Amino acid sequence: MSRLNATSRKWLPLLPAAAWWAVFLLAALVSIMVFSFGLKAPLSSVDPVTFEVLSLENYREALSPVYVQVFWITLKTAGIGTFFCLLFAFPVAYLLSTRISRNWRPWLLFIIIFPYWVSFLLRTFAWRIILAPEGMLSEALQAMGLITGGLAILDTQLAVQLGIIYNYLPVAILPIFVALERIDPALRQASSDLGATKITTFVQVTLPLATPGLIGAGILTFILAAGDYVVPAILGGARGLMIGRLIALQILEAQNLPLGAAMAMILIVALLVIGVLFALLQIVARRLNRMAQGAAI
Amino acid sequence: MKTRDPIGILLKAWMAIIIFFLFVPIFVVIVYSFNDGRILFIWEGFSTFWYGAVFDNHRILSTLDTSVRAALLNVAISVVLGTLAGVAMARHQGVWDKPFTLLLGLVLVTPELVSAIGQVIWFNKIGLDNGLVRLAIGHSLFNTALVAIIVKARAEGISDTLEEAAGDLGAPPWRAYVQITLPLMMPAIIAGALLAFTYSFDNVIVSLFVQRPGSSSLPVYILSSFKAGLRGDVAAVVVMALALTLVMAVIAAILLRKGAQSKTET
Repeated sequence: MSRLNATSRKWLPLLPAAAWWAVFLLAALVSIMVFSFGLKAPLSSVDPVTFEVLSLENYREALSPVYVQVFWITLKTAGIGTFFCLLFAFPVAYLLSTRISRNWRPWLLFIIIFPYWVSFLLRTFAWRIILAPEGMLSEALQAMGLITGGLAILDTQLAVQLGIIYNYLPVAILPIFVALERIDPALRQASSDLGATKITTFVQVTLPLATPGLIGAGILTFILAAGDYVVPAILGGARGLMIGRLIALQILEAQNLPLGAAMAMILIVALLVIGVLFALLQIVARRLNRMAQGAAI
Repeated sequence: MKTRDPIGILLKAWMAIIIFFLFVPIFVVIVYSFNDGRILFIWEGFSTFWYGAVFDNHRILSTLDTSVRAALLNVAISVVLGTLAGVAMARHQGVWDKPFTLLLGLVLVTPELVSAIGQVIWFNKIGLDNGLVRLAIGHSLFNTALVAIIVKARAEGISDTLEEAAGDLGAPPWRAYVQITLPLMMPAIIAGALLAFTYSFDNVIVSLFVQRPGSSSLPVYILSSFKAGLRGDVAAVVVMALALTLVMAVIAAILLRKGAQSKTET
């Protein structure tokens, strides 16, 4: 086989997937950008959008106080959701990687991932039963005297928050587990042999080594949560808003594609900025890790 | 050896709580699928009525039909493109590897909502009007990346000596690929196909945006009937689908385990 033939074969199998993504995804992303500078055409015209004047009008509208507030609520909800996902996920991932035998791990991971095989929609709907003012949880809490009157969190931002944590918790567990599993148990052993207490070992050895995994899980959870549409639509009612709902409203109901596109662009930019910040954090965390390991040696 | 491990006990209790938290809504759905009442989430008594009623609801049947067709077409696309790419990524570390990995990363981190908006604009622009094709393409964009990652992981675990041997023995590259590479990748391909099917079958956001009148998928129908009031047939069809996916998931798990075993054997 000739050398040229061999090199040309290297990229050939990548081509179909790359072309598929270029034609349908990259082009789609570019068209969001293009449309965000257009204007909604009058109802009489065939095309939904005119580009006679390239306009920043959509951005002005998307950045008006009402929308900015919803963007802010979205980032806050996603941020708080991510924080709790990481907080709840870490002990589970830690347990799996340190105290569960290798034979059992795949089964427990399977159980944790399992909910993803059940309709996302109906699982979210189910929370409406659980949280209903006259529902089981409400009555149990009233019986315990923890609340008076029915539970009143359905159709509020709190319900959206809970739904977000519920839906993305498994997504947070996996990357943290992978990071923790990679840590050589000998490192922890060495730390305790050198006289460190369990807590010192955890804080100075395990936690720094797990930080990249935590940040990765955080980025993933945050992106998914910030772009969510279903949870606020089902659990949020009129008061629980997230930007995904407003974007969907503009595009699916108001038929205002340019405004929806501009709002999507702002979401992308916000996520990019936060992603870059987290990536920088990750680099710093790696540096500190290396320094800590260097100091240990 | 048995030592006292209070932290371990605490952690295990925590995991039990988390698993309970994850599964409670699933139990609620299963229990309420046997609700006799007209409105899904108002309990009136046990009955299997809605399991029969599924087959009288034409909207459920037609959207289910659309969902299955779109999911299968999406699997076909994702498996072909993803397998080709996954094997190549594991085998050849060429110049194109880095940009391709970058592109794959972009596909994975693009929020579904953003991708969906872009698709509806772009599909309308290029005049892609077939609702089924729009759904299948929309779902395949993410799933191609998913299959590529799974296949790549397996291909990395298996050395390419067998393929080289086939080449040395005079087999043309396509023949070595079909007769040696593909069979070796089969567990990963099947696992990828099942995941791609489930993703598509459950997808709401992309489907909601790219769908055409007359080609709604089942999740989009469920979402739209939420406003009018859900009935028991929706839960019944989801529980039936769950039973089916459980069977598929068990098959996938067995295949992946087999794959892992044969990986350690080679």
